[in-house]
Amino acid sequence: MKRVVSVSLGSSRRDHKVQVALFGEEFEISRRGTDGNFDQAIALLQGLDGEVDAIGLGGIDVYLYAGKTRYVVKDGLKLMQAVHKTPVVDGSGLKNTLERETVYFLRQNTALLPLKAKVLMVSAVDRFGMAEAFTSLDCEVTYGDLIFSAGIPYPISTLEELEEIAHKTLPDMCQLPFHMLYPTGKKQEVQDEEKIKKYGHYYLEAQVIAGDFHLIRRYLPPLKGQTIVTNTTTTEDVTFLREKGAGYLVTTTPEFQGRSFGTNVIEAIMVVLLQKPWPKITPEDYLNLLKQLDFKPRILKLN
Amino acid sequence: MAEHSEITASLRAFQEGYNKNKRLKKMNADWDRVVLVEANDIPSRHTLILRKGELTIQEGSPENPDIKIISDSETLADMFYGDITPTQPYLNGTLKVLGTEDDVVRLDFISLMIWGE
Repeated sequence: MKRVVSVSLGSSRRDHKVQVALFGEEFEISRRGTDGNFDQAIALLQGLDGEVDAIGLGGIDVYLYAGKTRYVVKDGLKLMQAVHKTPVVDGSGLKNTLERETVYFLRQNTALLPLKAKVLMVSAVDRFGMAEAFTSLDCEVTYGDLIFSAGIPYPISTLEELEEIAHKTLPDMCQLPFHMLYPTGKKQEVQDEEKIKKYGHYYLEAQVIAGDFHLIRRYLPPLKGQTIVTNTTTTEDVTFLREKGAGYLVTTTPEFQGRSFGTNVIEAIMVVLLQKPWPKITPEDYLNLLKQLDFKPRILKLN
Repeated sequence: MAEHSEITASLRAFQEGYNKNKRLKKMNADWDRVVLVEANDIPSRHTLILRKGELTIQEGSPENPDIKIISDSETLADMFYGDITPTQPYLNGTLKVLGTEDDVVRLDFISLMIWGE
């Protein structure tokens, strides 16, 4: 039995454990939230180091991308460096392949992403591959990084401008405590009503809303049939989105027993299957394995 | 140690950088704030007023600031001249920014948009 554990800064209410068989190998996959407690996350990681086959870091990014530039999130790196023996990943390697493929899949196989579709990405620097894919398919994309991460009502409409702003600001902003830039712990369980009033219209102007689920959820107004493209959704989240009026839910990661895990979990599984050191794994390795595993996006009609 | 006049000059440079950046003004059009800038090693207080995207500067303290920026005179002058970013002094405790977390992030962002590489 291979053991993969995702240690998350998110709420422990979302903890989950499943067993699945992949390529004839049994995997026990679990997720352990630390309610935003950074020290608890470090202690948990140190306890798991050398005891499990791979570790995913959830509720935080280690690497953000804009164009070809990679920015290192200081708090994410601290967590990663708490682990010395077990492979540890944040999902960023897989995001660059799996999530691009999801966008292409939607265009080729569904009517959910027509030409010139209006797309809101609540944040793109944590999913630059997905952002590039939407743009390459001639979607009209609004990048909400400033709106939803910094509270600045300035929609970015080109990847070039996103890269330019990222170049000026991210080297320093990545040094800030992560909770100042992203909802962690209990903040993930509640919506920010004040900001929903201010920024909810960006959701309503879009046909497709894509990106990190916790950001999407925190600022989500009542919808009118929009498609949500995300992952890490639980059964409760599906009910929430249905009640909010979303039309479809597309999850980029496969469902295991009713739960779509984060890319960090799937990347950790893949590292175990590939049996290569993480820095040596290429996007082609992930793509080949995705094809062999026949992972496809899950598309769920909600309303 | 910097003098009061140096802090004033650094704030003028910051104001100039801000006001010639049309995009930054647009970004902050909704963000009306009164900010106290206070040195803790010399008698020096200034007020920054952001209203409808425009930034103005006054000598002295405001009555009810939304945000207080407190540090030593050298750090304040260096920061508003763009020689250092606010992030490091903020993280090591040299710079205190008293306000909501959202406001702290936004001030950091403004400074980086003016002086960032």
